[in-house]
Amino acid sequence: MLKKSLPHTLFMSNSPNKFTHKKSAFTLLATSMLSLGLTACLPNEKQDAKVVINKNPYPSTYQAMPAQSTLLTNATILTGTGERFDDADILLVNGKVSQVGNDLSADNANVIDMSGKWITPGIIDVHSHLGVYPNPQVESHSDGNEMTSPNTSEVWSEHSVWPQDPAFEAARAGGITSLQILPGSANLFGGRGVTLRNVPSVTMQGMKFADAPYGLKMACGENPKRVYGSRKVLPSTRMGNVAGYRSAWLAATEYKRAWDKYDSDYSAGKNPEAPKRDLELDTLMGVLDGEILIHNHCYKAEEMAVMIDLGKEFNYQSGTFHHAIEAYKIADLLAANGNCAAMWPDWWGFKMEAFDMVEENTAIVDAVKNSCAVVHSDSSTTIQRLNQEAAKVMYRANENGFALKEEDAIKWITANAAKSLGINDEVGSLEAGKKADVVVWNTNPFSVYAQAEQVFIDGAKVYDRLDDKYQAKSDFLLGQKLNNNLVSPTNKTAIK
Amino acid sequence: MKHTQLLTSLRYALFGVLAVTTSQVHAESIAITNATVYTVAEQGILSQATVVIDDGKITAVYSQGKAPESLSVDTVIDAKGRILTPGFIASGNLLGLVEVNAVSATRDSSDKKADLTFDASLAFNPKSTLIPYARKGGITSNLVMPHGGEKVFTGQSFTVNLSGEFDSIIAPKNAVIVSLGSNSKGSRALKLQTLSNQLEDAQKSLTKLEKAKSKKKSKGKEEKEAKTPSRSELVMYALLSGEKPLLAYADRATDILALLKLKQQYKLDLILVGASDAVLVSDEIAKANVTVMMSAIDNLPGSFDSLHNSLDNIAKLATAGVKIIISNSGESHNINQLRFDAGVAIANGLEATSALAAITANVADSFKLNSGRIAVGKNADLVLWSSDPFEISTKVDAMWINGNAMSLKSRQDALRDRYTTKSNMPRGYTK
Repeated sequence: MLKKSLPHTLFMSNSPNKFTHKKSAFTLLATSMLSLGLTACLPNEKQDAKVVINKNPYPSTYQAMPAQSTLLTNATILTGTGERFDDADILLVNGKVSQVGNDLSADNANVIDMSGKWITPGIIDVHSHLGVYPNPQVESHSDGNEMTSPNTSEVWSEHSVWPQDPAFEAARAGGITSLQILPGSANLFGGRGVTLRNVPSVTMQGMKFADAPYGLKMACGENPKRVYGSRKVLPSTRMGNVAGYRSAWLAATEYKRAWDKYDSDYSAGKNPEAPKRDLELDTLMGVLDGEILIHNHCYKAEEMAVMIDLGKEFNYQSGTFHHAIEAYKIADLLAANGNCAAMWPDWWGFKMEAFDMVEENTAIVDAVKNSCAVVHSDSSTTIQRLNQEAAKVMYRANENGFALKEEDAIKWITANAAKSLGINDEVGSLEAGKKADVVVWNTNPFSVYAQAEQVFIDGAKVYDRLDDKYQAKSDFLLGQKLNNNLVSPTNKTAIK
Repeated sequence: MKHTQLLTSLRYALFGVLAVTTSQVHAESIAITNATVYTVAEQGILSQATVVIDDGKITAVYSQGKAPESLSVDTVIDAKGRILTPGFIASGNLLGLVEVNAVSATRDSSDKKADLTFDASLAFNPKSTLIPYARKGGITSNLVMPHGGEKVFTGQSFTVNLSGEFDSIIAPKNAVIVSLGSNSKGSRALKLQTLSNQLEDAQKSLTKLEKAKSKKKSKGKEEKEAKTPSRSELVMYALLSGEKPLLAYADRATDILALLKLKQQYKLDLILVGASDAVLVSDEIAKANVTVMMSAIDNLPGSFDSLHNSLDNIAKLATAGVKIIISNSGESHNINQLRFDAGVAIANGLEATSALAAITANVADSFKLNSGRIAVGKNADLVLWSSDPFEISTKVDAMWINGNAMSLKSRQDALRDRYTTKSNMPRGYTK
């Protein structure tokens, strides 16, 4: 059965018309799948069974771990909505946030005194390659970038995820509860990204965030033109990059038109021939339909401005700009067009397009009304301390005229990140009804000494720094850390 | 304005720096009073202390109440209780040898032809934009470790200060770098064999040379001139005498043990670099009195040589008695993160005083730098912090290198100011 796998907001989009049109088509498709016979029979022509694209062929099998009602008390709580509660409580019931406030009580809840601790929403990284560029960094597991063509929209990062990457555990110990795994940036279109819940699992599907939209990785600038230019294939220049995007969107527009025509003809009772399926164009059509969100590796101001216009030219939303080193130069433009910018606090200088870094980038983007500033990692190391990455921005900005508080900066790695991924109806803040993804920190999370002590996903404890029982270990590391190969004296009796 | 007095003093100090062109010139005398001084020396931590600097050196360190009533110095700076530390010493990077990694014309750190005589200090650029940015992290000097060539001996390291002046190089060719461990092609064994053989050959030729010299002395002039050693041989001899440290990249415990053996055999001044799996042989390393230079934040099993990587490895090694240098290895543009890396090590069990030593005195000791401690006679490389040096909320309030107050502005500040200053003109006019 077709699963309604999109966040509400995407369906409720009020402009342009194609959204509403597609919505009714979508509903029809679903109906026809359920009861082919009922919709097919019209008087003048016998219809063949309708060809339907299964949009969720690798569905999530994620199951929340067992949870009991939990009341965490007397903590400093940053909700992710810009609010801060001191000496406050949070109640988690049935895997959801039930209440945040002072002096809460609950029957049958496991009450844990969190005096002196800080509580935040689960941390979300919008840009990760865990599982697709895992540790150990061996060629056999280097599955993050299909560098064989400038347009590989047909590949899906989820098909490369190795769930045993030990970095998932390390990230969990840093409070990461959801993360988007993206393909690399060598191609103009790198393929689909997938959003995962950061739980131990034998399969990718067991981690998959059930209702999250897919992302489409695009890349501006130096990488595609370097990789393909050196092979004497388009693009070898930035103008070649843009020509590449436009050609692809033209093809996608035709493809969508063909499918839309097929759908409407079929609905009109005709018996049209279905367009030929094309995996690459399926993904691009998903973007044009507003079902797949753009995640665009794009550092420079002038390139982001072109990408925004490109989205307008082909009638799709240009999405989130990742590694947006120069976002501060066009903060107004980004906010006006509803783009998120995902940024590092301070990485720079590894390429020309990363030369104009300023440490206040995120703060400058954030200061504009209707902005969406995100701090991301793109690193298996800093994903473990995304809280401190945000802290660096906050403090450097405050030294230079800003007045940011913890309750503001936490949004960059929670609520705004959730918005970028299209999962903000479900996670990213500690509001009643949201998934109970919660991190308990030993101290102010913006301190260099901060450590996540307990991490909850859907109300279930998935990590506890002080309790080995809640410290998962990947298959890969199991049995590796043996101190010696001798049987311990206590076990010698077992040898016969 | 809490720090008006300091700022005024600093302005004078900066004016002094601007008025001259090189740090060689006699720096003014300064007394920093009422400071919490982390000496990283015998005196430990002093509160309400006074540090006097003159002509680029520390000339007095007075504990509370011990300073004379009137100090005859050009400038007095009231630290108002803030923390004064030795300037931090970064290591294991390409500072001054690279501007933009992906722009090959700005990279001078490696060359296929480089061998153990490779002196990358000749390429050091003190005007690199990386240097002012690094200073914002409290870093006053640095051990540059070029990638060098493709042989086992890749080249030599050098030390610099971060003054940005043309005389920044403290010591060229101060240590020899070797790279051991796993290979995508070939065997690690051959690297160890090559290292071992070359040391053995050098030892033989040195012994021969010394014999020849002593013969020459006893027999007088008629004996044939001994062959002049090659440049490479001279470097090898310096290693054998322990005059030059050997910086050895190695992660797996077997490689580390092999190096410890070579150290013992040839009396090497060995420093282990990387050392991901050093925890497996921490007692052996401590017993051999070998310093370990490592990252505080690499905790993933990046390869089969580093399956035991962990955030608490530094604390474990320190507990075992191993001297540590914390290095943000692999990083050049963001070496100002060094203090945060040290903070992460503290959060994972390292004593704060050990963490401080790991980015000051321990580096100075290993590479014979006259800095890294606040003590009489040391270079006046100092940093005054707004608060705890390891905390993200803290910033550098003032810095001196060889007694000169340093600017804490970088190109990044200029860019930020351009794009946050209101103007009716295009941004290009805001300068």
